[in-house]
Amino acid sequence: MDTKTAAVASSAKRNGAAPLARPGRARWAPGTTLAMFGVVILLPVVLPSATLATEILIFAMAALACNLLLGYTGLLSFGQAIFFGAGAYCSALGMLHWQLGLFSALLLALSVGAVLALLVGLLCIRRKGIYFVMLTLALTQMAYFLAYTLSDWTGGDNGLLGVPRPPIALGGTTFVSLASPLAFYGLVAVLFAVIYIMARRITSSPFGSTLLAIRENEARAAALGYDIRLFKIMVFVLSGAITALAGALYAMLLNFAPLSNIELLMSEQILIMTIIGGTGSLFGSLLGAGSIVLLGDILSAIWPRWMLLLGVALIAVVIFMRGGLWGGLTSLLQRARRAASHDKEA
Amino acid sequence: MTNSHAPLLETRQLELAYGAFKAVGGVDLRIHSGTIHTVIGPNGAGKTSLFHCLTGERRPTNGRILLDGRDITRQPAHGRVGLGMARSFQITSLFQELSVHENLRLAAQGVDGWKALNFWQRLDTRKRHIDTADEVLERLNLTERAGIPAGELSHGQQRILEVGMAICARPKLLLLDEPTSGMGIDDIPTMTRLIGELGKDHSILLIEHNMSIVMSISDTITVMNRGQVLVEGTPDSVRNDQRVREAYLGEAA
Repeated sequence: MDTKTAAVASSAKRNGAAPLARPGRARWAPGTTLAMFGVVILLPVVLPSATLATEILIFAMAALACNLLLGYTGLLSFGQAIFFGAGAYCSALGMLHWQLGLFSALLLALSVGAVLALLVGLLCIRRKGIYFVMLTLALTQMAYFLAYTLSDWTGGDNGLLGVPRPPIALGGTTFVSLASPLAFYGLVAVLFAVIYIMARRITSSPFGSTLLAIRENEARAAALGYDIRLFKIMVFVLSGAITALAGALYAMLLNFAPLSNIELLMSEQILIMTIIGGTGSLFGSLLGAGSIVLLGDILSAIWPRWMLLLGVALIAVVIFMRGGLWGGLTSLLQRARRAASHDKEA
Repeated sequence: MTNSHAPLLETRQLELAYGAFKAVGGVDLRIHSGTIHTVIGPNGAGKTSLFHCLTGERRPTNGRILLDGRDITRQPAHGRVGLGMARSFQITSLFQELSVHENLRLAAQGVDGWKALNFWQRLDTRKRHIDTADEVLERLNLTERAGIPAGELSHGQQRILEVGMAICARPKLLLLDEPTSGMGIDDIPTMTRLIGELGKDHSILLIEHNMSIVMSISDTITVMNRGQVLVEGTPDSVRNDQRVREAYLGEAA
């Protein structure tokens, strides 16, 4: 038997028990939604502050949205900061000038994110590969300078100050004040869980399976009858809306919308979280956001040049853990399981 | 088997020009329902350019393409699938990391067009696509390999899967671009048998280099040379045609 047939035979053995393979890769794990709930509940207990926990979930939301583009559709977008920043600014301005309530402000962010993503998507998906990436880069730069120039609205370099955090209210009756960090964490946690479950459902729908097909082989997907552009625009809109929601929540968390929200660096940070966590895994996005936010929090207290260490961590993950933290975790688990079954046989 | 009814696929004065060079220069092709119609010709004859026009990869610079009497000249590639055309690729083009079964299921799902934009349903509601994939797996003799990534199949099996994906759409017309290309000598009979079998319930347009296959399974053969139709007829008449010999000898010389 030559090496190729040997490889086929061994992998057939590995997968032999499952004639009806799941869509996507074989590493779909049913326990991840439960694990997500576990993390969301434990975060404020384990961490020193609920604010830190809130920040993790907000960035996990943004990373998850980025993952829909990068991990599921194969679109590397540097445009995420546009949606994040726009979500922050628009909800903040809505609350400051139109006295919008909590949910109207969040809805406004969602819709602004969706519309912007539609426009950005329509423009960028006209090109593929490196040219697509360049277009998203250029648009982020433009958005940044636009925000910088419109300082009457955005506060320019100083950021938009005094962003309120309205209570959960309906028809003038206040139900829950979100002034305490833990109460706000509760809101963010619920929103995160809802989005996570929605994203899980979408990724395992016919739509989601088609995204994977586009990621794997665009030409073939088109030849099979899928309108690639339509699918790409839809996933862009979805991603933009979620990212803008995260941006709005971030402004409420900080009571402030800094210019850095809409900077290229923000796009990079969201991408790094997505990649470190593991592309193509929703739970990986939570892991990625969690580890980067935590590392930043710990390292920045020790050393102001902590980004350097973050760079080293990123290189290590990219080189030694294909599939990011999630990929590393699952292969560790597999190895452990294999070792356990080996012991049983022996 | 050729009949005088309206053809399933017809091209009228189809032309694809790159600047002054006409890769396809005014081709009239009539493919009849229920036949295996093969296009052959020496390298550079324009077979692949013709194929690209038919699949929608290239927009012809002149002329029309009619499917079942309907003008599809300006239909994009993905739009032609729903109208009953499916294709295979000359260079194997699979979803390498997805399972063999998922490759076929996606192929079955693609023909639904807009309905694939379904955000909310789960796997079990897509029973029809799963059933189609199972049927085709059986037909391709790949049932045992259903769960492994397509990229881990042997080369011959990948070629078989390549053709199999095209039939998942249950097309009226199957466009096969050199299905045996790159196949080992041992795998070719399997492919020949498969295409012959598919010919029983599909109309097929085949582009192929392997003459023994062409001669054994085709109903009609169109020979192209320099972007134009040189000869068209049954395998026997083409085999004995002096002009065809010259065209191929000219290439060899």
